[in-house]
Amino acid sequence: MTNWRSGIIPTWCPGCEDYVIFAGLQGTLAKLNLDQDKTVIVYDIGCIGNMADFVKGWGVHSLHGRSIPTAVGIKLANPELNVIAIGGDGGIYGEGLSHLIAAARLNIDITVLVANNHLYSLTTGQSSPTTPKGTKTKSTPHGVPSVALMPVELLKTVNPEVTAEHIDCKEPLKVNEAMERAISHKGFHLLDLEQLCVSFGKQLKQN
Amino acid sequence: MDKVITVKIAGPAGTGIKSAGLLLAKMLSESGYNLKDYSEYPSLVRGGHNTYQVSFSAGEIYSVHFMVDIFISLVAGHWQEHSKEFRENTLVFADNDGKINIPFKEMCDKLGGTIYSNTISLGLLAYLLDLDKEFAKKNIAEAYGNDSNNLSAFEEGYCWGEKNCQKLSVEKGKNTEKKIIVDGNEAAGWGLYKAGLDMFVAYPMTPASGLLHFLAKNMDEFKIKVIHPEDEIAVASIASGASMAGSRAAVGTSGGGFALMTETVSLDAQAGLGVVYFLSMRPGPATGMPTWTQQGDLLFAVHSGHGEFPKVVLAAGDHEEAYELSKLSLNLANKFDIPVIMLSDKNLSESSANTKDFNTEEKEIVASSKQIPGKGQTIKLYNSYEHNEEGFSVEDAGESKKAMDLRLGMEKDILEAMPKVNLFGSDKAKKIIVSWGSTKGAILEALKEMENKEDFAFLQLKGLWPIDPRIGQIINGFSEKILVENNATAQLESLLKSKMTVEFTKKILKYDGRPFFPEELKEELND
Repeated sequence: MTNWRSGIIPTWCPGCEDYVIFAGLQGTLAKLNLDQDKTVIVYDIGCIGNMADFVKGWGVHSLHGRSIPTAVGIKLANPELNVIAIGGDGGIYGEGLSHLIAAARLNIDITVLVANNHLYSLTTGQSSPTTPKGTKTKSTPHGVPSVALMPVELLKTVNPEVTAEHIDCKEPLKVNEAMERAISHKGFHLLDLEQLCVSFGKQLKQN
Repeated sequence: MDKVITVKIAGPAGTGIKSAGLLLAKMLSESGYNLKDYSEYPSLVRGGHNTYQVSFSAGEIYSVHFMVDIFISLVAGHWQEHSKEFRENTLVFADNDGKINIPFKEMCDKLGGTIYSNTISLGLLAYLLDLDKEFAKKNIAEAYGNDSNNLSAFEEGYCWGEKNCQKLSVEKGKNTEKKIIVDGNEAAGWGLYKAGLDMFVAYPMTPASGLLHFLAKNMDEFKIKVIHPEDEIAVASIASGASMAGSRAAVGTSGGGFALMTETVSLDAQAGLGVVYFLSMRPGPATGMPTWTQQGDLLFAVHSGHGEFPKVVLAAGDHEEAYELSKLSLNLANKFDIPVIMLSDKNLSESSANTKDFNTEEKEIVASSKQIPGKGQTIKLYNSYEHNEEGFSVEDAGESKKAMDLRLGMEKDILEAMPKVNLFGSDKAKKIIVSWGSTKGAILEALKEMENKEDFAFLQLKGLWPIDPRIGQIINGFSEKILVENNATAQLESLLKSKMTVEFTKKILKYDGRPFFPEELKEELND
């Protein structure tokens, strides 16, 4: 069986749901028996992006918000490749939102996995585009002034032909099934993975 | 010396000035002349004041001239503001209010439309310049298809000339080999294509859009992918992704677009991905003057991207160099797996010349040695973080320093691969002119016509970064050192001084959106 583990020990916090996504992805790559030489994973910047070091496989650890256009470039250059972009709610829905919309309009055959914990956690817990309105964070002590973005609903209006799903990491088996659907799908697929940050998530509950 | 003739056509946007101009250029080129052209236009689609001018000669010509021999306004007015460009014997035609009245409107009415003044002008010019009439008509038929009114318009103009004017005495053109008319953007497109371009990505921005249009138009024939994505950030990211997957990738933009791409310039250097950034400069800051020219982004290009890393900056002086250096840019980007910035400006990008037929040139491809997916090679992670050879992130003091040293250590080899300088004139001359980019044309044209041309040598830099410190020795071998730049702050001087000791005795700077013309340079050089 193909080894998709680099051997580098993950550095996420104990109990982080990024482990659920990591395990789900490892299992799905093995289950779908993807050709390792023809699979490229593009990682955004953020906690989940740090997976770049833990995976053995072709990859780009891109810039913050740019995992999608980088993945688009790879897919356009060589359509034979399986291309997966992984990022957080900050990179995919904040810094790179226009790229998400453009890729969905194009319905290009890439998979986008988003670890959506509603916070910028690698930078110690500021608000993100999916933080509920009113939440107090380090960058919004008076509460987030904007309403939260609903990415799955958004994409359905951008292009009804693309597929988008929302799954909670609290149910790892469902995560695994959803990931299989996402990576096997021909065309653009967004899998939005609900998480609660073990280190900075408390502030979300207080509201 | 062979005489230079300059023709200028003016009028509001939307009257077909540029298309008539390009047809005239084609007719002149196929009549054996050498030519350079130049257009001015404001950033709008209809109205305003547009001009097209072309200078041609049976001998060498390096730049358009300021002074005009034949001026045609396609409507009433549009000529008075050009009076400084007229000599006593300049023929100034305009619709019933010029120095010579030509009844464009009346002739157009007869033809049943208002849009024929440009083709009528071509008829008049064919007569005045004694160009082959049948040959001209063939070109017009090709350009305008089945609209027979254009052929009638050409006849009208020709006949009106016969009745009302005298032919100019112009020496016949001497070229016999096939030449093509290209602007700087198209020449760069040919260069990228001949270096094995696989993918071109761009977001429209004047004056670089012509490169996007040229490559998009030819994408099937060239077997390349041309992508116009959502913004310049995506442009650069897509190109970097394509490079990772084994494509030879280039992007095109102007200063404002390049500003958005600079994070990716830095990524390319860190991850080891070769991408060419074609940067055609226009006056800034900010939106500046979109349709005008300036060499204001040299230091921006050299310092683009956060962090310290090797990159290459090249600048073309004319159309053949736009071809050669664009070819080199893609080869250097792939040889060293680094970002390469290929500089042009509006003055070169949107001005045409007749050059050798680039399509008949052989392809010249230096391949990248980096590992790419899908070919059974050793797997690699391309990382924006500092990393080891496999691509995994490192933060260890020793390993991170080693990685930095490895990257910066490339500079010696890069310097060896950079294009050599052009030194025109004798190294025994009293004065040396130092410049870069599209000022080359006006400088050479000025020197061509100067009586004391033996006093001057001209050093043109094509490789701007990394810069060879030995350039200082060349410059310091002359007693008078004159800097010529199309910017306000003498950016080349700053760049040279960062690596060598040079003191210019004189600086000729122009920063009003207009290029240098040979006439003004002649005066300034002798001042």
